[in-house]
Amino acid sequence: MSRSSATIIGGSEKRKDAFRKVRGEAVYAADLPFPNLFHAKVVRSPHLSARIMNISAEKAREVMGVKAVLTSADIPGSKTFGTLVQDQSVLADDVVRMAGDPVVLVVAESERASQQAASLVEVVYQPLEPVLDPLSALQPDSPLVHSGGNLVTRYDVQTGDPEQGFREADVILEETFYTPRVSPGYMELENSTAQWNAEQNSITVWVSSQHPFEDQRQIAMVLGLGIEKVQVISAAVGGAFGGREDSSIAILAALGAYRTRGTVRLVNNRSESFLAHPKRHPARIHLKVGAKKDGRLVALHGVVHLDTGAYASYGPAVGGLLTEVVPGSYCIPHVRVETHVVYTNNPFAGAMRGFGSPQAHFAIESMMDILGDRLGIDPIEIRRRNILQVGDRVFTGVPVDQTASSLPICLDLAREAVSRFENIQPSPGKVNGVGLALAVQTMGYGAHIADDSTHRLEWLPDGRVRIFLGAPDLGQGLAIAAEQITAEVLGLPVEQVEAVNVDTWLAPKGGTTCASRMTYLTGNALIKAADQLKLQLIEEAALIMNIPPDQVSYNHGMIQIPNGRNIPVIEFTSRLADSGQQLVSQATASFPYPPEITPQHLPPGMPHVMFCFGAQVVRVEVDPELGIVDVKDVVAIHDVGKVINQHGVEGQIEGGVMMGIGYALYEEMIQKTDSKWVDSFTEYLLPTCEDVPLNLEKVILENPETSGPFGAKGIGEITLVPTAPAIANAVFRATRRRVTKLPIKMEDLLFE
Amino acid sequence: MKPVEVSFTVNHRLVRLTSLPNRSLLDILRQDLRLEGAKDSCGGEGECGACTVIMNGRVVNSCLVLAGQLDGCTILTIEGLSRGDDLHPIQKAFIEAGAVQCGYCTPGAILSAKALLDQVPYPSREQIREALSGNLCRCTGYVKMIEAVEMAAREINRSSAINTESQNE
Repeated sequence: MSRSSATIIGGSEKRKDAFRKVRGEAVYAADLPFPNLFHAKVVRSPHLSARIMNISAEKAREVMGVKAVLTSADIPGSKTFGTLVQDQSVLADDVVRMAGDPVVLVVAESERASQQAASLVEVVYQPLEPVLDPLSALQPDSPLVHSGGNLVTRYDVQTGDPEQGFREADVILEETFYTPRVSPGYMELENSTAQWNAEQNSITVWVSSQHPFEDQRQIAMVLGLGIEKVQVISAAVGGAFGGREDSSIAILAALGAYRTRGTVRLVNNRSESFLAHPKRHPARIHLKVGAKKDGRLVALHGVVHLDTGAYASYGPAVGGLLTEVVPGSYCIPHVRVETHVVYTNNPFAGAMRGFGSPQAHFAIESMMDILGDRLGIDPIEIRRRNILQVGDRVFTGVPVDQTASSLPICLDLAREAVSRFENIQPSPGKVNGVGLALAVQTMGYGAHIADDSTHRLEWLPDGRVRIFLGAPDLGQGLAIAAEQITAEVLGLPVEQVEAVNVDTWLAPKGGTTCASRMTYLTGNALIKAADQLKLQLIEEAALIMNIPPDQVSYNHGMIQIPNGRNIPVIEFTSRLADSGQQLVSQATASFPYPPEITPQHLPPGMPHVMFCFGAQVVRVEVDPELGIVDVKDVVAIHDVGKVINQHGVEGQIEGGVMMGIGYALYEEMIQKTDSKWVDSFTEYLLPTCEDVPLNLEKVILENPETSGPFGAKGIGEITLVPTAPAIANAVFRATRRRVTKLPIKMEDLLFE
Repeated sequence: MKPVEVSFTVNHRLVRLTSLPNRSLLDILRQDLRLEGAKDSCGGEGECGACTVIMNGRVVNSCLVLAGQLDGCTILTIEGLSRGDDLHPIQKAFIEAGAVQCGYCTPGAILSAKALLDQVPYPSREQIREALSGNLCRCTGYVKMIEAVEMAAREINRSSAINTESQNE
């Protein structure tokens, strides 16, 4: 919807939580004070794969202050959980499938007692042969991670006739790309506090989560309670990036509270966060591309293996989205992509910002440069000859609308940046390399999955408007975007509009905060709700004043009547409150998945129908003696449709680029020995302030998405997608070394 | 291990307590004094900076400071930085620059900036980057934090220049 007179939209309105956050007063779930708070600790598997022979809890129970030592036998309802595949044990009973699997939950009066008791729980394991490589896991003689087989999902999506396409090609190239297991690495460790409410036989669970309603469903299922007996409340969330689409911590805290009839807090330590919470899937992507001499792609065949570790988590959906974007932003007539999502005994993977797209883009965007070099066509030109044009269909059959017109603009801007960067003199002793990558990111869950998002407005008696968000703000700024959009439609100052945290007993269902979907869906729902709210106000005002509604209008917090008088809204909202009434309006938005653009033969979650586009150009300096790569300049070009909050958009770009730099150069959760993994910030290197490129330019395009709120679309994920391939391409320009495995290591650039 | 009695000041107030000597300052702040602006993120390894406080004028990771070291010390936490609703210029600048997202690292980053600006009123960008390099942030990409510290430095120097002028008059 386009409202050209918008005044609040696009500014840098200050987020309301910032005042509390700079004072250290923001309340995260682990900061909530409770009397008689119990502390829980999880005893976890030290093995990659093992059978549990015996659990002995006597010594643990003897520790002073211990309230409960719980095993799988103590679970009243479902002993397993999982959103897409119910394959995760709340507490392992017969086998453990990865290091870090939860086995026993200890609840005690103090942290110290719970830790001491946990260390005294004796679990006897019989180690089993693990499988750690997804290709081995698909061999017939492989150990099975789950009894149903190691293949979680397989997609095989095709358009045209790839065999024929390769016959038509003048050049055929093949390459295999590898991407690492990385952690979302948010600062707030997973935690939850659960309180049993004896008088109501209900439970209240405070979470740091992307999906409180899904937590509610799974807690109810595990505790065997009616869903109405479970209240889930979202506290301030300390970053998420996909990693908080996992209910394990909330379920365990709830189990502790249920069994002790008390209030129980469970906080992961950083090692537990690494091992037992979702990470980005490591991928092996084999690409075969065929092109004409002029660089036009005619065929692509991709074979992908995603290592989801011991649990599916969101692996099947990640595999689906990855499959869709293997061809990147390019129109290729003959395409086949086969994707396998595979169980192994590695720490499990799930949702993470970009959801398959970063892996796919490392492959295709590296391949475009390889192809250009082979044909003697420069990186901009090889892309220009292949990019999607308005009306083209991506290989799932979905047409791209006019938003694809931002792709050639991205390339033009990239060309300008490339030539500017190529003229910069490198520091003494260093070599320069300039590289670029394009990116496409989808929005929403995908077709054939309910993607509705509902949000509610209430006009309070004092004239302010409250937004009941249906999904939590994770720190990215959903609340301020929602407040700005609502304030704009109602013509109120932003100060008069306030979004509140999700409480599943009060909030409408907004789905999961993920998939670059929230600004679009929340915005559209709130525009509808605000328009309805105005109509309600006009009707009620007319009734109160006893004049026909068509003689009443609303403007900027004022009711206008025929004699020209303006009456402040509060006159009516307070009057309504006196008679026990309040203006309430709720609306739902979804993505446009009409049948004509949604091929029916694809599995659920496929295809997506809305796309975000962007490009990044990077200048690196490489030390040829040490192999050290420094990212010096970045230009990040992103089409956001319409800026709702300028600082918010810039923050997504800056944070995304830095996450992309980490993915390219530093981050990898490697196996050290046997069941020991890199599981601390000492060994797992997050980018720091000193890694910020000295020049990080943001070019924000506003090519309106006509179905979006004020023309806006998503920006949360795409910002990290092109960074790593752009860096790899720049490193190639500097060193003539083509690195096909992330992260790029010094030794990749030193040794033949 | 025997408990020790220590007295130290936190945010200009004298605190006296008895604690096992190996308890961390972070635990004491959060659990005993209910000053929860300091956070744990790395698990007490001194890697993340979320628990940063200022001790005797210098930035420390409070997870690595033990009770036994506290006697006679002066501690400033994020809760002691503003007076009532009146924010410190660094806090204001973090809001103004849009440097706050999830907010979990924010108190620590602000205190690192405070320690820097107390020592170096006109820091270079390189000095700011170095001063904040112990405070991990996964949301913001640090760019707006650096801008916020520059903004705060300008503001602090401007108002101290005004104060000096008015004193001279």
